[in-house]
This record gives sequence, structure tokens and C-alpha cells, in this order.
Amino acid sequence: MRAIILILLLGCFSSSAVAQMPARDAYLRGVADRARFITSAYDTSTAASYAAVAARYANNRDIRMADSLFLAGLREPRGDMFWMFPVIGAYLHGKDKMSPAVKQAVRNAWKTYAPYRGDTENHWAMYHASLFLAAEQWPGLPGTEWFNGKSSDENRIEAKEYLIHWIGITTTIGQGEFDSPDYFPEYAISMSLLADFAQDADMQKRGAMMMDLLLADFGAEHLDGQYLGGFSRIYQPAVYRPLMSGASAFAYLYFGSGEPTQSSWVVLPALGSYRPPDIVYRIATDRSTPYLHKERKRVRNVIRFGPEKNPPVYKQTYVTADYGIGALQGGLLQPIQQHTWCVRYTYGRPYTTIFGLHPYWSSLELGMFFPEEIKPLIADVVASKGTYNNPDKWTGGSPFERTFQHNNTLLVLYDIAPGTMTEHIDGFFPRNLEQRLVDPSGWILCKAGKTYVGWYPFQEYVWSEERDTMEPAKSAVGPAKNNSVPPEHDSGAQARGNWRLRSHTLQNGYVIEVRSEKEIGSFEAFCTKLRAHIPRPTLIPGKVAADYVTLNGDRMRFAFPEDRTLNGKKVDLTAYKLFQGPFVNAEVGSQRITLTHNKAKRILDFKTLEVIQQP
Amino acid sequence: MTSLQLSKRLKRAAGLLLLPALLYSQESTVYVSVVATKLFVVGAANPQTGIHYQHPSADTVWQKTGPNNIRAFGVAAFPGSDGRVLYIASGNGVHRSTNGGVSWKITTGWQITEVQSVCPDPRDANSVYIATPYGVFKTTDGCATWSPCNNGLGALFTSAVIVDHARPNTVYCSTEDGAYKSADGAATWTRLGLSVGNVRTIVQHPQRPEILLAGTESHGIYRTTNGGSWWERSEAGIDHNTFYTIAYDLQHPDTVYAAGYVTGVYRSLDGGISWKRKNDGLSVLTFHSLAVDPRVSGRVYAGAYWGGVFRSDSGGESWRRVGLGDSQVWTIHIQP
Repeated sequence: MRAIILILLLGCFSSSAVAQMPARDAYLRGVADRARFITSAYDTSTAASYAAVAARYANNRDIRMADSLFLAGLREPRGDMFWMFPVIGAYLHGKDKMSPAVKQAVRNAWKTYAPYRGDTENHWAMYHASLFLAAEQWPGLPGTEWFNGKSSDENRIEAKEYLIHWIGITTTIGQGEFDSPDYFPEYAISMSLLADFAQDADMQKRGAMMMDLLLADFGAEHLDGQYLGGFSRIYQPAVYRPLMSGASAFAYLYFGSGEPTQSSWVVLPALGSYRPPDIVYRIATDRSTPYLHKERKRVRNVIRFGPEKNPPVYKQTYVTADYGIGALQGGLLQPIQQHTWCVRYTYGRPYTTIFGLHPYWSSLELGMFFPEEIKPLIADVVASKGTYNNPDKWTGGSPFERTFQHNNTLLVLYDIAPGTMTEHIDGFFPRNLEQRLVDPSGWILCKAGKTYVGWYPFQEYVWSEERDTMEPAKSAVGPAKNNSVPPEHDSGAQARGNWRLRSHTLQNGYVIEVRSEKEIGSFEAFCTKLRAHIPRPTLIPGKVAADYVTLNGDRMRFAFPEDRTLNGKKVDLTAYKLFQGPFVNAEVGSQRITLTHNKAKRILDFKTLEVIQQP
Repeated sequence: MTSLQLSKRLKRAAGLLLLPALLYSQESTVYVSVVATKLFVVGAANPQTGIHYQHPSADTVWQKTGPNNIRAFGVAAFPGSDGRVLYIASGNGVHRSTNGGVSWKITTGWQITEVQSVCPDPRDANSVYIATPYGVFKTTDGCATWSPCNNGLGALFTSAVIVDHARPNTVYCSTEDGAYKSADGAATWTRLGLSVGNVRTIVQHPQRPEILLAGTESHGIYRTTNGGSWWERSEAGIDHNTFYTIAYDLQHPDTVYAAGYVTGVYRSLDGGISWKRKNDGLSVLTFHSLAVDPRVSGRVYAGAYWGGVFRSDSGGESWRRVGLGDSQVWTIHIQP
């Protein structure tokens, strides 16, 4: 009888997603294993990289070689704040082991090399965190011993002030460069270095608390190593190959998800001692119950052409064990690399996403965020970010795009002004979908393993096939009025390109419905149900709108740009809290973040610097 | 070694290190600020960014001073300091040197960033104004502290501040919202009568302070003859609409130069009423900075947005490139 009860208990235990999670010591062993795997690519490397230097010092691998590599790297410093953090990180891991000559060379570099402070939040986080730690390491020096002419005290105090300021706004009105799969590492490395090495106990604590927050923020919108959209900034190709981002390397290290990586972005965190608390790991990995996560972030500093310096960004993400769908409200929220919405799922790496956008660029947009002259700015930006003015690009926000999300249903509307650089909208459909069918009802029906995605375009469109590059591999297939997918590409076209849906009508939009097998049953059941849910768009210039009843029976009405009604009730985005959901909660302005998982709570109070763990 | 030889050697040695203007007092010193070279990306090697200077006799040879890699938007010298007191407006804040560029210190904190231009008050060595995307800031204690001075500004984005050479405490600034004037040292601002916004530069006639010229984004050049109450658009001879820089010839104040986005260089011989393009020898057309040597009428320097520095010794009749490669030259300041 006891055996039967035990078996039953074990059965219950194993069926619970929570129960599948490892105990703390097993989790830490896992992190240690992954950290060893990551750093093993560096601690025997003879490449002159600061990551190799840090790994050799930390792991005691041929210190003389580490010294030699460090000296080689310091001969021609470059990289600004991207130089500062690896150098101070390597120094902090090796200062008790390196030769006096290397120590002197590092010290001298902070006197003679003047890094640019940067013009955005990730730059400033790296610059000030690194400078703070460096000033702590060499206290009492006069300004003549520092690249900027300020004394050790001046540098330390100023850097601390900035970091406290940044933490303050991030925990009151939200992060500016929020939820960026590609810029997450810049913040996480900066904060983990503080958590690992700050001598100032308060700053050490702030660093650790911010790491908890950054990882919980990511964790609540994490699935299988991927950050769930929308995003403030993302590059190609991570936008359509989600695991290629730096954030995914952190997911591998801390959450054990995604794919094994030896990305240099996680070397310093892997070598460090900060490890996320259990609750953060559980938030990131418990997908036993679907949930809605809402949050408020802010726009990066708008320096002109806008009435508000940091307008709010409202984001929601619906997360299940199989997929996540998330969206920002749309509009111009970030320069260059905004990703307004996407579906991401666990099936079919590496192309685990479907999304759409209006490819937009303008000197006005750049002028809002950069102080340089606006007319030449597009050419200036394109010199380093070549996709910016490419009509086929897969990243970027648009003033003519707005979204309305309700759980796993999304309405997207476009009212594009005539004469805009691009007069089309695009949709990305990965090549490895099991099904991509155009139904006579108008729905495009996609199957990605246990995730089903329906896309109902409001206007005519064409398909084109393309490779990972910006250039289409083939010209558009089929006439514009025939929305059929060529049969040879209906499914299983692994070796072929991804698919671009392009629609050339200025007043435009679509509905996205996502369900999992667990939610709706078979793909056929999904298709059958969708056929009975046809949106009713109004596509008149200046009066673009849509009415739609979701698969769950909710009535959505959306009039461009900001009129959202759900079941007859106006949706008030301004009511969004800083975080709201089953896992992360905080009021705007509170500086008090509550992490929750089942009965466990962890409160991060940035006003008092208290961390309260319950139980 | 004769005393003359000794003197020359000392001057040469010292001149390489510091005080270029002091030791070559028969020539002006030309300072230029280079924002970037080639790539517009943070973290990329940008070795030429920062401040370069030369004496005109050096022709195409420039000396580098100050920190590298700081996105140097502006440069200025305190008048009468013989080049000892220098300021750089940069992405990192306001750098100051009090020894002719031997050493520098960032005098601003983290709050002040991407400084567009710097203007020391010629009457007060302790007062300096700066224009930034976050408004105007001022120090009155020799750069020990800086305070925002934005009372009355309709928009904060400010590209330039100038101090009235005739009236103490009178200051002008060019902003996203238009041109503004302060009669109390930037404590309060009043919008001038210029009807357009996005003013990129504002300059004052060297002898008749009531005459001002303003260059704008997309609205051309405007001129006032009554201190800013009423402005007239300068249209005669102008085929372009975006002007980033305007410079008077101090010795012949009716001669004015202007340039901007794909404009080449325009010259006016009637104080900015009518203009002619003077592009002979220019291989680029977008310029961000112009300056006329106060000692030599007709010697004009033009800083290209991408293309280094051009110089004319004939009042713009012909130009030749005098160095700094393809760099983006934001400001040229000539210290007599």
C-alpha cells in the first residue's frame, strides 16, 4: 500500500512542472557545469581577448600567458565602454595573480585611454559601472592619473550617482532600452560585475538586486532560451533566429535553456559568483500554466520633435509552454531596431518566430533620438547599420503601425501616409513551418509543432521566398490577386528560403490568433474554428479600424491609432503597472518589485535596498 | 648657439607641447573639432576624433590635442588667454584645459552629455555657456559647477549659444523651437521674432550688434537688423534651405559666408542680403563649420560634414583641401 501511495505521489510530482525543477544545489551544479563549458573555450585560448585573460586568471590557467595576452590587448586600447568592462573584469579576476608590470599597464591604460561615454543607456551602464569599479580599485589618485582629469573620488562618486539614477528610473517608470535580446548582456554584465566586485556594500547589493530584476524581467518573458517580444532593440538575424541573441546565452547559463553556447558575452558572468535566486529560475522555466504578463517601459530619451522625454511603452506577452506572443502598442518607440510584435515558439529551431512590420525609416525618427544633423543622419546610420533604410528589413518601428493585443489574439493596423519611404507591410513566415496554408476563408493557417498560428490579412498580398540575407532569393510567386501558396512550398521546405508576405496597400492590417495543441486540440480543429471568425476591417484613409471576435469569444474593436475596446469597454493602456502578472508585480513609481512563484515571494525594494524572501 | 637660435629651439620645443598661439603670435591658431571619422558607431576606432589645431602657415599639417574618441562637437578658446584656456564640447561633456592643451579635465557630470557647442563669456573668465540636447547650461565659477538655464525656452534642444559682444549679460541661442535672447545672462529667455523653428546657428554682426543672422534646418537663412524683433528671409541667390554655419569676415563685416546640407559655400558681400555660391575646388558640398581668420581677410576655413577641412585664401573664389581626411568637422574656431 505504501508503495502504491509512493508511486501515486511520484506520479503527481512528475506531472507537475514545478516538481520537475531541480533543488537549489542541483541547480547551482547545473550552472557551474554550464559556466565551465562556457569558460573552457577561453581559459586555454591564446587569442588576445580580454575574455581569455579573465578566464585564465579566474581558472588559474597559465597566468604568464594571461599576463602576456593582457599586455598585448592593452597596447592599442579601443572600444570605449566595450573596452572598459572586459578590462576591469579581467583585472578584478586577476589582480592578485598578475605581474606588477601588467598591473601597472592596466592602471596606466585608465590614465591614457579616453573612452567615449556613449549616447544611450547601455553605454552609460557599462561606462559608469566599469568606472565605478576602477575608481574603487585605485582610490586616492588625483585627476592627472585618470583619462578624464577627475580624481578617483570624483569618478567613483559620479559613477555611483549615475547608476543610482538609472536604477531609480528603471524601477519607477521602466527601462529605456527594455527587453532587448541583443542589448540585455550590456546591462547584465555591468550589474553582475557590481554584484561580484563592488567594495561599496550598497552598490554591491544594488548590482545583485538589479541582476535579480533583469533576469526576472527576462524570465517572465522567456521561453526555451528565447526572449519573447516585442523589443526595444534587436538586430538581424536574431530577429528571425531568436537563439542567436546575447540574451539567449544568459538563458543558457542561468536557466539551462536554449542551446549550449560559448558566447563571449557570458564569460564574465560565468566566471563570477552571482547566481540568480531560485525564484528567478522558476519564473523563467515554469510554464505549467499559461499566463499574461504586462509591463510598462519607457522610450529612450526623446531629445527633439516630441513633447515628452520618455513616453511610456506598454507591453503585454501571453506565455504558454509552447509559445509566447507579445506586442508593444506600436508607433515610434525606439530608433532603428524596434521589434513591435512577434510570436515565438518552441518548435523548429532556428526559425522559431512569426512576425510582421511596416519597414520604415526617416531622418525625423533619427533626429528624435540623436543630436547630429538630421538630413545626413540616415546615411550616417546606414554606414554601420546597413539594414536601416532597406525596404526589405525585418526590424524597426513605424509611426503608421499600432497593435491591440488580448491574450493570444493580436490586431495590427496600419494607416500609412502616401509618399512614405515604403508603402508596403511585410510578414515573416519561417521556412520550416509544418503547414502554411492559405484557406479560402482568408486565413493563413500555420502549424509549428504544437503551436498553431492564424494570420488574417486585411488586404491582398504576395509571397516571396528569401534566404537569411536581405536579398530575396526569388521574385514574388504568383499574381497579387491569387494568394495561394505554391504547392511545392506548402510544407517541409527545409532547404528552401523563408517566406515574406508583402502587402502594398496603405490602409492595412491583420489579425493573429495563436493556440497550442493543449489549448485547442488538433490543427484541424484550430482551422475549423478560425473559419468561423472573420474580422471586419474598415480600410479608409484616416479611419482604419477592425472588429473581431476572438476564438475565445471576446469582442475586440480597434480604431487606428489608439482607440481600443474590449467587450464594449475602453482599454486604458495608461493603467498599466510597471509589472503585472503571476510572476512579477510592481506599481509605477514604487521602486518595489515583487517576484512570486507559487507561495514563494522575493521583494526587491530599491528604496530601502531590502530584499525580502518569503518563505 | 646664438640666443636667437636658442629662442627658436625653445619655441619649437615648447610649441609642440603647448601654447601654440602664444609662441606664434603673428599667426592665428585654427582649432577644429572632429566628431567622427568614417564610421558612426560607438566602440569603433575613431582615432582622429577630438581637437586638432594648426597655424595657417602649417597648411595641411595639423596637431592633435586633448583626448581621442570623445565625439568632439565644439571647441572654443577663452579670448585673451593666448590659447591657454580651451574648451571642448563633446559627447563626454565639457573638457577644459588651462595650459594650452597639455592636460584636460571633464568639468561636467553625467547629467550633461552630447554637448553641441561651448561659448565662454569674453568678459568673465569664470562664465561659460553650453548648448546641449537638454537645454542651455552655464557655469559662473570656472566650471566647478554647471546649472541648467532654460527658463522661457519653448524647446530644450539647443545647438548654439553666443554672447553679445556689445552688451554684457546678453546671450542668444538657437533651438529646435526658434531663436531666443536673454538679457540676464541666460536666467530667462525670450523668443525672438523669427517665425520658424529648428534654428541651427545664430551669429552676430561684428560691429553692429543689432544685426543677426540665423541658419535653419529647411527654412534657409534669416536676417534681422533690429536685434531680433523682426526677421527677413535671405532669398536672393540661395537655392538651398538647410544651413548649419554662418561666419562673418571680421575685417570686412559685409562679407559673410554660409554653408549647410549640400550647399557648398555661399558668400554674401552685402551683409547677408544676397548670396552667391563659391564652390570652385570643393569636392564635397555638405559643410558644418565655417570660420574666417580674423587676422587675414579672405582666408576662410570650411569644415566638411564628411571630408575634412577646406581653405580659401581668396574669399571663397577657390578652395583646396587642407587635411583631416574624411572626418566630420563640426566646429572651426580661429583664435587671433
